[in-house]
Amino acid sequence: MAAADTPSATLRHHDLCSRGIRLARKMRSDVTDLLDIYVERQGLDASISVAAVDGVPAAAAERWAEQTGTQRLLDNLAAYRAFRTLLAQMLEEQREQLGDADAELGPALAAVLLQVSAFAYHLEELLELESRGAPAEEGSEPPALPRLSLFEQKLRGLGVLRELAQWAVRSVRDLRQLAKHGPGSGMALGLPESQ
Amino acid sequence: MANPVPSACCVVLAVVVVVYAQRHSQQDSHIQYERVGADVTMKCGSMDWDAAVTWTANGTDIDDSHLNGSYLILKKVDLTQSGQYSCYEGSSWHLKYQTYLRVGVPPKEPVLMCRSNNYPKGFYCSWHLPSPTYIPNSFNISVIHGTREMVCEKDIFPKNRCHIRYLQLFSTVKYKVTLTVTNALGKNSTTLTFDEFAIVKPDPPESVVAKPVPNNPRRLEVSWQNPSSWPDPESFPLKFFLRYRPLILDQWQHVELSDGTSHTITDAYAGKEYIIQVAAKDNDIGTWSDWSVAVHATPWTEEPKQLTTEVQITGETLTQHKHPALRGPGYG
Repeated sequence: MAAADTPSATLRHHDLCSRGIRLARKMRSDVTDLLDIYVERQGLDASISVAAVDGVPAAAAERWAEQTGTQRLLDNLAAYRAFRTLLAQMLEEQREQLGDADAELGPALAAVLLQVSAFAYHLEELLELESRGAPAEEGSEPPALPRLSLFEQKLRGLGVLRELAQWAVRSVRDLRQLAKHGPGSGMALGLPESQ
Repeated sequence: MANPVPSACCVVLAVVVVVYAQRHSQQDSHIQYERVGADVTMKCGSMDWDAAVTWTANGTDIDDSHLNGSYLILKKVDLTQSGQYSCYEGSSWHLKYQTYLRVGVPPKEPVLMCRSNNYPKGFYCSWHLPSPTYIPNSFNISVIHGTREMVCEKDIFPKNRCHIRYLQLFSTVKYKVTLTVTNALGKNSTTLTFDEFAIVKPDPPESVVAKPVPNNPRRLEVSWQNPSSWPDPESFPLKFFLRYRPLILDQWQHVELSDGTSHTITDAYAGKEYIIQVAAKDNDIGTWSDWSVAVHATPWTEEPKQLTTEVQITGETLTQHKHPALRGPGYG
């Protein structure tokens, strides 16, 4: 494991942050497109409000500016690991509901799932570089979902995708903060004036 | 023995105060608000209906035709009838009643706008009425985020604006802002609902400068600065949109720039004056700013050499060579 403060580690850190930003921005763009497809295919109103869903990591952060670099990475990793599981479940539900009749939503979901998995892996690499190492994933089985009606499943899926879109934006910001302060920085990375 | 002069002065002063108080306690003096087009009846304080009174409006006697007994009747009042109305007892001319009539209208639905030009610090909301009410209005604004009510701190100037600090970032929960305007004749309100990203709109770029590039007749160098209201351009970088056209044409050319605060235009028409503007947007969220103040610039042109006409006489032929600067259209 490279020491966090060597020149090569700094370069690698910067490279990982830059690539991570590009991945997150692409992911956000694709999730936005996926949301449009999802709303249309599920027959939902795009403006419908969805209450906070259990098990979906909320992107909202208080005192975001005061977070340390490590905390940012850990929060992001936990979120994307959760999204990986949630999207896999959505994909399964999708196949059960629409099967082969769906030529658009399923592939779009699968593509985003792939990006989420790749991004989670990317975050693990960053954490390794921070000399922290990625925490082990809790449990190998996804948590059992409560039995939901079809409509509730659709709303839940909408909530998942909306929150994922927010996370993608947050991840861009988090990685920018990380890039700004270099590797191995466990200190608070605040804005000039605290949020 | 005490000096009697100061004592006498005190007595006189006391009498004046008492008389003044008595007179002003005999009449009601207040502000009365009425709608345009309403019929207004004013009573002369506690005077009986059949008492002999005189009404004045801003010091001018009102014709008896507007009286019903001692009551003043104003039919279908309009804005010009705002003013001070006074009622005097017939013979004594004691002031019995005084009111300030303010004619106006209830407020129409206010126009409310919210925007974040200093993301991620917070946002502001500003408002105005689409038409005047002609009487004083008060505004009350409430900002709700989920279940939380947030404080909107009113600006001293302008008075119709307040700002909110973000307590959370990246929330999917929408903000709901309700503005209520109230005056003596009624109230009205409007509500805006939006999410955090949608209202992000930076101020235009500042200090836009456009300069010719020496020895380059088709280039203009443009530079600008981030708007000073944007608190952290390093962490929240802006991208820019530049538009430019020669003054003699209507069609703009556009360039989007994802980083940096300068750009070189390389396809300017030689010798033509250009107008140039820049707009800004957060790299990831929100909408474009308004266009910056326009700047003008003309690409570099070669200094015209001294104008001479060389005449050569070759044999019997007179040949005239014109200096290039004097050649007609089509040059350069």
